[in-house]
Amino acid sequence: MASLTLYPEDERLVGASRVAFNLYMITAIGLFVILMIIGLTMRLSQAMWFEVQVDLFYKLLSMHGTGMVGTAALSTTAVMWYFLRKYVNLHLWAFITNYVLFMLGAVCIIVAIFIGDYGALWTFLYPLPVNGMGLWSSYTAALFMAGNLLIGVGSLLFYFDAAAAIIKKHGNLGRALGVQWLFKGTIDPNHPKAVVASTMVIIANSLGILAGAVVLVMSLINVFYPDMHLDALLAKNLTYWFGHMYINATIYMGVIAVYELLPRYTGKPYAISRPFIWSWSASTLFVIIVYPHHLMMDFAQPQWLTIMGQVISWSAGFPVFLVTTFGALQNLHRSGIKWKTPSRFMILSLFGWAAGIVPAILDGTVRNNLVMHNTQWVPGHFHFYLVLGVLSMVLALMFHVTGSRTQTPPNSSADKIGFSFYLIGGLVFVLAFLAAGHMSVARRMATHLEQWIPTDKMGSIGATILILGMIYFAVRISIGLLRSPSSSQATGASSSSSSQ
Amino acid sequence: MKRTTLLGLVGIALWVVNMLPPVRSLIETTMTSQMLVQLTMLTMSGWFVAHLVPLHVRDHIDRWNAQGIAGLLLATVTSMVWMLPRMMDSSLSDGTITVAKFVTVPLLIGVPLALSWPLMGFVVRGFFLLEAVATAFRLGWLYLISPERVCVNYLIDDQQVLGIVMLCIGGVLFAYFGWKLMFGTIRT
Repeated sequence: MASLTLYPEDERLVGASRVAFNLYMITAIGLFVILMIIGLTMRLSQAMWFEVQVDLFYKLLSMHGTGMVGTAALSTTAVMWYFLRKYVNLHLWAFITNYVLFMLGAVCIIVAIFIGDYGALWTFLYPLPVNGMGLWSSYTAALFMAGNLLIGVGSLLFYFDAAAAIIKKHGNLGRALGVQWLFKGTIDPNHPKAVVASTMVIIANSLGILAGAVVLVMSLINVFYPDMHLDALLAKNLTYWFGHMYINATIYMGVIAVYELLPRYTGKPYAISRPFIWSWSASTLFVIIVYPHHLMMDFAQPQWLTIMGQVISWSAGFPVFLVTTFGALQNLHRSGIKWKTPSRFMILSLFGWAAGIVPAILDGTVRNNLVMHNTQWVPGHFHFYLVLGVLSMVLALMFHVTGSRTQTPPNSSADKIGFSFYLIGGLVFVLAFLAAGHMSVARRMATHLEQWIPTDKMGSIGATILILGMIYFAVRISIGLLRSPSSSQATGASSSSSSQ
Repeated sequence: MKRTTLLGLVGIALWVVNMLPPVRSLIETTMTSQMLVQLTMLTMSGWFVAHLVPLHVRDHIDRWNAQGIAGLLLATVTSMVWMLPRMMDSSLSDGTITVAKFVTVPLLIGVPLALSWPLMGFVVRGFFLLEAVATAFRLGWLYLISPERVCVNYLIDDQQVLGIVMLCIGGVLFAYFGWKLMFGTIRT
């Protein structure tokens, strides 16, 4: 069971672990700010408040999308590592190698976009990347895809190391997930939720990366041997199998922070239960097979896949979400929670998750998808889910760790103002997208019609407020993480290193 | 007779059997059997022959083969050469390439794999096996969609059969490893 001590000894970051964690988190928060500013630039351009050339718009859109997905994965990987290392023996080299490969991949992607002029978005859907219509070369597309491959390989390396450690402790992934307790047996109350969630992510995301590794290499072969035509629908299925799982996994890694930290702020144990095991086991399967909801408008897609996409969309998010939200509310009820910045972000993240999946479930229904598919309803959903859900989970941990020096979670007046900016700005920003989707405003368009501009302006205002809060967080968290550990921690560090 | 010697002799016997003209001509009749039967058996012969490597030589090699990565790299690079249809094709018509196949596949794929496998940890093995599955899917897909014959000696329908078999192999390996990881017993 997760500790109720606010800053337990086994979570302390010392030496290389601290450097690695800081690298992940400071890189992530810096990237989030830069990528948010890129996003704001696009919204301002759509609102006609700032002029961006059309070709630059699609480059910015490619950078924003790829960057945000990658950074969300990077930061939530750090969340998973931070807690999982308490229960199993993770190797620091795997964690650091993932970071290095991520950075190498990011350089490839940035060069492809800003020097090679790539603008075919993060989904690199065949055959678009290799048909740049003279705007970018096929070699640029190859570089972009190679960057994605490097990032995928890094993730896989980290997952394999985590899988090895989990299997060593629990025997196999099934036992780590808790399937032996699905129907019978007394559940071990000390079985960590972090292990259950991490196992689910390892299973689902490794499969997704396998699909990505196949389609990316096939697309690279197509770059250098264009006569080798791929089946576009099969390529799209594999791309979305990879893409959907990769981004979806971020919330399942991020939620570990809620499982671990919430009980410390409420002071109430957050016990593991059979419904918890059931929900994570079911979601492991559902997350793997839900991706066809991205292909509902592909008329050539086998009907059974589309039906599966719809049915699983209705059920995929629910088990873990329900059990987490219900569990969190139960944990919160009459707890006398300490309302500090991390706990605020944890509760916000559950709201972001809960409210953010509703538009997805609506859009995951074929009849709705007919009119919603290519509208701003979709970015409305995933921005809701990612900004207010996933990023809030990451911010909760970042703030929590910055308080470790004084053993006091941060809660300054400036933090409260920053949180208000983040919440209000975030809500205005995502609701503008959803309102635009309701009006059938097309997504991924550099130029907007006159009638679409009011929601663009509303979104730009929201994004500006959100970014102001985020800039404050970036500075606050970076300084907090970089400050040297307290004397007791330093002593602990030296004594622990001398004992090794 | 010691077990290692016996396994080494099995490897040599397998190699000799593969060299026999009737066996060669039977296996090399189709692209599928050359790639999946002959190359696999030659790799296995090398794997068994590796048991004849004396312990002190093995210890010496191990020092250059941390985590089995150097050996894995050698085996992978050699495999890449023999995955090229042109090489398989030439091995039927060019004596030098034929000799190269019967020498390099056992010695540069089978032997290094056998010497490296026990040294590999879970992560290296996992990467190798996942890449093997991905390669089976990619090659299967490529052989199925290739607009032209990739080998002079084999017809296009033969390479498409190979494509289907490769996809099936990828699927079976994927299911097996998935099941083992989820419910099996694994040595990490």
